[in-house]
Amino acid sequence: MSSILCLLSVQDGRIKRSSLEAMSHANTLARAEGWSLEAVLLGSKAADLAETAGRHGADRVLVIKDPVFDSHLNAPLLAGLEAVVKAASPRLVVAASTESVKDVLGALAVRCDAAVLPDVASFSVQGERIVCERPVMAAKKLARTESSHPLVFVSVRSGSYEVKEAQGAGTVVDVPFQFDAATLGLTLREIVKSAGDTVDLSEARVVVAAGRGVRDASGKALVDELASITGAAIGASRAVVETGLFPATAQIGQTGKVVSPDLYFAVGISGAVQHTAGMANSRVIVAINKDPDAPIFDLATYGLVGDCFTILPLLNAELKKVMASR
Amino acid sequence: MKFCVCIKQVPDVQASVQTGRMVLNAYDASAVEEALVINEGTDDPVDLVLIGSASATETIRKALAMGASEATHLVAEGEGLDSHAVAALLAAHFEGHAYDVILTGKQSQDTDAGLAGSMLAERLGLPYATNAVGLRAEGDTLVVTRQGDAGQEILALKTPCLVTCSNDMNNPRIPALKGIMAAKRKQIDTRSITPPGPRTRVTTTLEPPGREPGVKLEGEAADMVAELVRRLDAEANVL
Ligand SMILES: Cc1cc2nc3c(=O)[nH]c(=O)nc-3n(C[C@H](O)[C@H](O)[C@H](O)COP(=O)(O)OP(=O)(O)OC[C@H]3O[C@@H](n4cnc5c(N)ncnc54)[C@H](O)[C@@H]3O)c2cc1C
Ligand SMILES: Nc1ncnc2c1ncn2[C@@H]1O[C@H](COP(=O)(O)O)[C@@H](O)[C@H]1O
Repeated sequence: MSSILCLLSVQDGRIKRSSLEAMSHANTLARAEGWSLEAVLLGSKAADLAETAGRHGADRVLVIKDPVFDSHLNAPLLAGLEAVVKAASPRLVVAASTESVKDVLGALAVRCDAAVLPDVASFSVQGERIVCERPVMAAKKLARTESSHPLVFVSVRSGSYEVKEAQGAGTVVDVPFQFDAATLGLTLREIVKSAGDTVDLSEARVVVAAGRGVRDASGKALVDELASITGAAIGASRAVVETGLFPATAQIGQTGKVVSPDLYFAVGISGAVQHTAGMANSRVIVAINKDPDAPIFDLATYGLVGDCFTILPLLNAELKKVMASR
Repeated sequence: MKFCVCIKQVPDVQASVQTGRMVLNAYDASAVEEALVINEGTDDPVDLVLIGSASATETIRKALAMGASEATHLVAEGEGLDSHAVAALLAAHFEGHAYDVILTGKQSQDTDAGLAGSMLAERLGLPYATNAVGLRAEGDTLVVTRQGDAGQEILALKTPCLVTCSNDMNNPRIPALKGIMAAKRKQIDTRSITPPGPRTRVTTTLEPPGREPGVKLEGEAADMVAELVRRLDAEANVL
């Protein structure tokens, strides 16, 4: 029997929502094709999360309980994933398009002799072909792309599918693995976490994003306050990250992260294509910009033309009232 | 350090109407910039390699004008080169060379694939890092800062190695007249090649689903705010 193998990314002891989104769709496809659905979990706590994988449709959960996977490093991850792909010999491998996955996807495809459809917005099985749609030209176009290669890897943009529970057997299978650190051509010296990230940007239901119009620390304080009132994650444009006011992990767009929350506030952001490539799929977009011709207004559900330094204090006060009455 | 940067010519994604104007992939421009900065004041080369149509010479000249040393132009006409085919061709190119560091962009601006770099590293058996936002030479080690999911990872790579570069690394220089003149005399080794078959194929290009037209509020800030909050609550139901 053919199968779909889902690579599940773990952060802060939880399976990332984007991984469960991709697996939920993979489950739908697997059931329609009569294929099995398998999940992969790597790291010292891998087995603890197998139950969650089972609850989202996994028939088997392939685990490697090795602490080498607890912080991201591409060489061991590649070796681990190679072992798992070879053990499962699936038709299709599905993963969320996280930075860790992007880091190894191409190399893994060479190692496993696979074709890759990266960063897709949707995918399906059509007979011998795996077909997907992926944004191109800074998300101004969608390219329908396909592969008939016997093994295909697909990475999925966050927010492309809903998470759906589906009971699978969730049988845990330990995959034998040994990694010789002496063969490493690289070492991880340090991980510099950016301070103040309380909500994961790519999973947030509400995002407050700041642009160059936010300008300085007093603007940042207003943005922070709006985020705390609405329980939002904080995003930023490249221009404002460059000023050092916001961390690079907050950057949204073609170079940065892709988000698709229910509610997106764009504060002092012009709406360059490289920025909108990362947020155009948000359900409701609120834009605050003093330039009535700013391109962000073309995407905005609600556009407010005005100075964010005047608008945000009023908005924060008003939202505080509404939230307090809940 | 001996660098070679893989560069690609792409359509200008920023243009609102496609005029056929082609540019140097922005991520590759950052890779060229970084290599030039690291090698400043040394005699070590920053070479280039590009796979593309004959008209891509223009893009090669631009990168040479930034200060790169020499270039190889592997001429492949027509569409249909995917990252898999590019990596196979580049791997064959690098077989006869001994570079300390191969740089690529983290992705092509037009396709956002982000695969060719790590595919090439794997084919060459090199240690690699992707999505680099900083590079520094330390003896024969390359120290790379990469933007990861939850923060920045600082990695030490033994050379030879490969790194894919983010444009968040630097702002590429604009070539000065002197550089442009010098680039005209620099050598471009041009060869015809036949690409291997791609593993993925674009069948159609569609318009993305459009958004419902929105509401633009203007006037007094307090009125706009009241109206926004009312609509967020009652109409959009997101509070
Ligand atoms: C290859 C490539 C990749 C890129 N990737 C990304 C990416 O991932 N993410 C990204 O964001 N950008 C990216 N960019 C950069 C992008 O092209 C823009 O330069 C950037 O998004 C601009 O950021 P901004 O809107 O904050 O700044 P600006 O374009 O300077 O806009 C600032 C806006 O703030 C408004 N404003 C100013 N003061 C106020 C005020 N007091 N109140 C209200 N409004 C005010 C102005 O009217 C203006 O519209 C990329 C560029 C390239 C070439
Ligand atoms: N035709 C090409 N010629 C030379 N290098 C290329 C070519 N296509 C891609 N690359 C390199 O691979 C990187 C991106 O890979 P990808 O996003 O997979 O296309 C680019 O930034 C270049 O450094």
